[in-house]
Amino acid sequence: MAEDVLCPFCGCLCDDIKVEVENDQIVGVKRACKLGSSKIRGHERTKAPMVRKDEELVETSYEEAYDRAAKILKDAKRPLLYGWCSTVCETHKKGILLAEEVGGVIDSTATVCHGPSIIGIEEKGLAGSTLGQIKNRADLIVFWGANPAEAHPRHTLRYSSNSTGMFTPDGRKGRKVIVVDVRETRTAKNADKFLLIKPGTDYEVISALRMIVAGKGEIVPEKVAGVAKSDLEEAAEMMKAARFGAILFGLGMTHSRGRYKNVDNALSLVADLNGFTKFVVMAMRGHYNVAGFGQVCAWETGFPMSVDFSRGAPYFNPGETAACDLLAKREADAMMVVAADPVSNFPRATVEGMAEIPVIQIDPFPNPTTLLADVVIPSAVCGVEAEGTAYRMDGLSLRMKKVVDSPYPTDEAIIQNILDRVRRLGDDN
Amino acid sequence: MRKIVIVPRREFRVPVEAERISPDVFAPLAIEEIGKIEVWEGNRKTALSDLFEVSGDDVPAKPEETLISLSGDFSKVKRVGENMTRGRIAAEGDLGMHAGNGMSGGEIEIEGRAGDWLGREMRGGKITVLGEAGDYVGAGYRGESCGMRGGEILIEGSAGDYLGEHLCGGTITVLGNAGDFPGIANRGGVITIGGNAHLPGAEMASGTITIKGRAKVLPSYQYLETVEIDGLSLKKFFGDLVDNGKGELYAASVEDGGA
Amino acid sequence: MIIKGGFVCDPKNGILGEEMDICIECGKIVEKSVGGDVIDARGMLVLPGGVDAHAHIAGAKVNSGRIMRPEDGRRGIEPRTKLLRPSTGYTVPNCYAMGYRYARLGYTTAFEAATPILESRHTHEELEEIPIVDKGALTLFGNNWEVLECVRDGDLEKLAAFVAWGLRASRGYGVKVVNPGGGEAWGFGGNVKGIDDPVPNFGVTPREIIRYLMRANEILGLPHSVHLHTNNLGKPGNYETTLETLKAVEDITASRDRQVLHVTHMQFSAYGGTGWRDFESKAPEIAEYFNHHDQFTMDMGQLIFGSATTMTADAPLEYGNARLLHAKWSNHDIELEESSGVVPLVYGRKMPINAIQWAIGLELALLTKNPWQVIMTTDHPNGGPFVNYPEVVTLLMSRVKREEELKSLHELASKRSSLPSIEREMDWNDIAIVTRAAPARILGLSEKGHLGVGADGDVTIFDINPADVDPSKDHRKVKEALAKARYTIKAGEVVVRDGDITAVPQGRTYWVDASVPEDQAEKVRADLVEKFAKYYSIQMSNYMVQDAYVTHPRVVKAGVI
Repeated sequence: MAEDVLCPFCGCLCDDIKVEVENDQIVGVKRACKLGSSKIRGHERTKAPMVRKDEELVETSYEEAYDRAAKILKDAKRPLLYGWCSTVCETHKKGILLAEEVGGVIDSTATVCHGPSIIGIEEKGLAGSTLGQIKNRADLIVFWGANPAEAHPRHTLRYSSNSTGMFTPDGRKGRKVIVVDVRETRTAKNADKFLLIKPGTDYEVISALRMIVAGKGEIVPEKVAGVAKSDLEEAAEMMKAARFGAILFGLGMTHSRGRYKNVDNALSLVADLNGFTKFVVMAMRGHYNVAGFGQVCAWETGFPMSVDFSRGAPYFNPGETAACDLLAKREADAMMVVAADPVSNFPRATVEGMAEIPVIQIDPFPNPTTLLADVVIPSAVCGVEAEGTAYRMDGLSLRMKKVVDSPYPTDEAIIQNILDRVRRLGDDN
Repeated sequence: MRKIVIVPRREFRVPVEAERISPDVFAPLAIEEIGKIEVWEGNRKTALSDLFEVSGDDVPAKPEETLISLSGDFSKVKRVGENMTRGRIAAEGDLGMHAGNGMSGGEIEIEGRAGDWLGREMRGGKITVLGEAGDYVGAGYRGESCGMRGGEILIEGSAGDYLGEHLCGGTITVLGNAGDFPGIANRGGVITIGGNAHLPGAEMASGTITIKGRAKVLPSYQYLETVEIDGLSLKKFFGDLVDNGKGELYAASVEDGGA
Repeated sequence: MIIKGGFVCDPKNGILGEEMDICIECGKIVEKSVGGDVIDARGMLVLPGGVDAHAHIAGAKVNSGRIMRPEDGRRGIEPRTKLLRPSTGYTVPNCYAMGYRYARLGYTTAFEAATPILESRHTHEELEEIPIVDKGALTLFGNNWEVLECVRDGDLEKLAAFVAWGLRASRGYGVKVVNPGGGEAWGFGGNVKGIDDPVPNFGVTPREIIRYLMRANEILGLPHSVHLHTNNLGKPGNYETTLETLKAVEDITASRDRQVLHVTHMQFSAYGGTGWRDFESKAPEIAEYFNHHDQFTMDMGQLIFGSATTMTADAPLEYGNARLLHAKWSNHDIELEESSGVVPLVYGRKMPINAIQWAIGLELALLTKNPWQVIMTTDHPNGGPFVNYPEVVTLLMSRVKREEELKSLHELASKRSSLPSIEREMDWNDIAIVTRAAPARILGLSEKGHLGVGADGDVTIFDINPADVDPSKDHRKVKEALAKARYTIKAGEVVVRDGDITAVPQGRTYWVDASVPEDQAEKVRADLVEKFAKYYSIQMSNYMVQDAYVTHPRVVKAGVI
């Protein structure tokens, strides 16, 4: 039995999982949610490296796969190294070095989830805390465009609305929950106050709340984005009356009209609220280590994502250097996908951009991206078969454990092998 | 006026960064020397003449007497006219991102479409676009508190989102529509939009934004009165009051926010 | 290796500018060289490698600064080379730039000033990526619930055991205390107003927290003293709090041959006035106190005009800054332990407050008679980035330079400080003390800051001949020479030649392993088991920094057994 194992699924990064192991096989998983449990138990794996020959993926050796991958990256004028959300920080470091070495662009899956949140933070800063601070102190939780009941199943019990702590001994009973969303989600059904807003109106609603919080409510129209002013006033009053409030926002805020400006405005709302009481704000990050990529990339390059190394120095400008930009504008001429599945998650025009160029995939599992890949390199599952560092959604770093051995190399080792070959190709030139 | 003509030798897939295409750089150089100027195609450093045919008057002239004519598809050529102070650049077709980055003088004329970040952090001079313009016209770099500080941008077509983000001076005129958030965080610039716009002037501290078409106005703007300007009846608003802003926002008609 | 004929300042060993040879073998200073490189240092200044005892160079808040400031990242960009990774940033450089820039300035050791235990894994991840320099991190204790409870219960032995545990858990080097009690109060948006203002929900005062932690520090005989960021820091009139704090601990004695308390970035704690309108320097009062109390030390926290990124565990201070300046604001509370904030700002020469702040840092250094008591810092990047150290050195060495600067500042810098009347100019030995010998001594790093036999082979050679150059007049030459070391030698390896990086070794990380009686350790363990079960959001077994994060450790032993 392995104790206190970290879950390699969502940004909650639960670290209390019990994994039963017999004969180096996982036979039981306790405490994890269904999503986490199924990830830890594992499912169909890519059995061996594959390369595309005459339109077909055929099994090959790791050596040949590394060679092919290195050649593709080395030949490219604008290679894109993308993904990184479901692997450990040790892989990120190697990946960034590889991107430097091949003069590529490196970007994470944040580009299709909380990238806008990061751009919002660049405008205003982020008033946040660790999740335990919310657990111990928050008496008001606002879920905005977030539905933890479906996406982060253990969040409410471990960290937020239903958790208990030093100053929150009564858990959910001692707390108020406000939900803002465009539909009545399961999370919304359990709220004390639900604001149903029209899609794409987050910015206006936040501006109206800021006005009311600041005592300038008389200027706000009687209805904002389908919400009665009296409802907004009630929500604003709940926020100001809280002893410690937290706004936890999801893709509903970042991926509706207004994008990063919605986040920007929400960060300002939280800053304003701190003039009255204590408030923090946090993005409900999706994959278990997408936050880690942002941290590693920031300390290595100065920037948290979308870094272009084509001229040897980091250049950061999402909108220009993000993965979707490169693919939709047909700029990238090769792509390496590590621990992600862009074909399932990208907009169609972007996937079409992938279809035109050589694609290398490094992943333990086959997924729709495999169908487009020219080189497929199977790897060990981080947090189950390989250890390493991951950052929880609140920026807290933890060490993931290895609970069983794996016949597959780690992501880090794979990238190191490709890097070695890229360097050799460079020496030959 | 000395004229130098640049024509791409082929279609580019990978973008070309050519911040040295500028009258200030070209002025003292003969054509052959201009051809040796460093440009980047993706991660490959190369010479201008490897990617472009360069022709025209061979005799050096002052920058203000230098005209660079871009003929052909420049939609993937970035940073043309960066930091230029004098002279002219004329693109017959489209021009890629970051044209006129940080320019402080001279003129850029684009007959086709302009890419994103046109006139980013511009300080002076004039940019005219006959076609459409992308997002972030006259904006700043990520995280900066100031975008364009001076000069003039005229877009005859429509412009994308975040037009004039963090504008700290200068004027931007769009004859067509603007996208979302024109003039966001405006600090003293003047924006005029011939058509419609969505949520203009969010967090505007000062400056003037005029929407001659229809606008969705934020609930944090205070309606003052209807005024008559250049024969047009405009509703005058004051804001953005979320940040105690003192900007003026005019709109011909207002989309109902409450419905 | 032998460094021949340089003008050597090694004040710890009483060498005050003598022409002599320095020999290094196996990374250490030795009597005699057995061969290897010969560096001709004739006509050059030879100093021990620089030691930065207080800078914010690694960890969550530094990275928050990077993430919220791409506009800073775009400054100072240098592309990669065959040897070097790319550099970015000015106030919040990437990890590589930090190591390269320290080395170019002749610095070979730098300590991160504040790491919360819970987030120390992150701090070490970044320290590991900073090349060349040796490093360490000071661990935050001043708002930790276990600390507050030990203080409340009057259990000094248990507190000492917890401090030892916290240092081990964080792989930390010393006890950092920031706005004691205020960080906990900030958990509900409050603060403490002075050293006798009780911390909400815990019923202890900052005075008690500071005293207890200092006593615990001395029970454990830690190499460094408590490192204190005072209450009310950054506020007009706070010099009274600062003096009150010092008076409150005058009776505590050090267990080792060093100060009993280090008050950090004193510039921010030496303010007079009842508000910003009558804001003035009280540096003379602070310096006068230090002149009569040699058990205390401080660092300058010198302000540098231009862009800065303030970052501190003093979160309420940062909220105040952000609202006052209408600036970007990041805050980060750490459950059960701390809070912190990050706010970018620009210090202006014509801004009266900033001009006075600038003068205060210099007054403190120049009016405190004993240079071993005041070390040079800019509290990077709070007062400004460390790359400006050469500028600070010239200000300390040249009254002419100070007068030139004062002319370009708001007139209140002259009227509300005593700087214009200060004649003192430091000499090279003073500089060697405030940038090398004293920070090493204050941190308790016996192998650093000097060139005696057995010291680390960390040496800086500057292309400046003290026989020819009068720093008082030729301050431009001094600044130029100091900005680019002719040679920086780290553990016997040339890492900089003519201002260029020539080698990128991995430095070591200092941390303190302090032993405590098993019964006390057991009491702490029992408390922690309960805290993790009820309050922390992670499991206790996942808390401590694992060895994988400190690949080149230098473990310093201390403790009561």
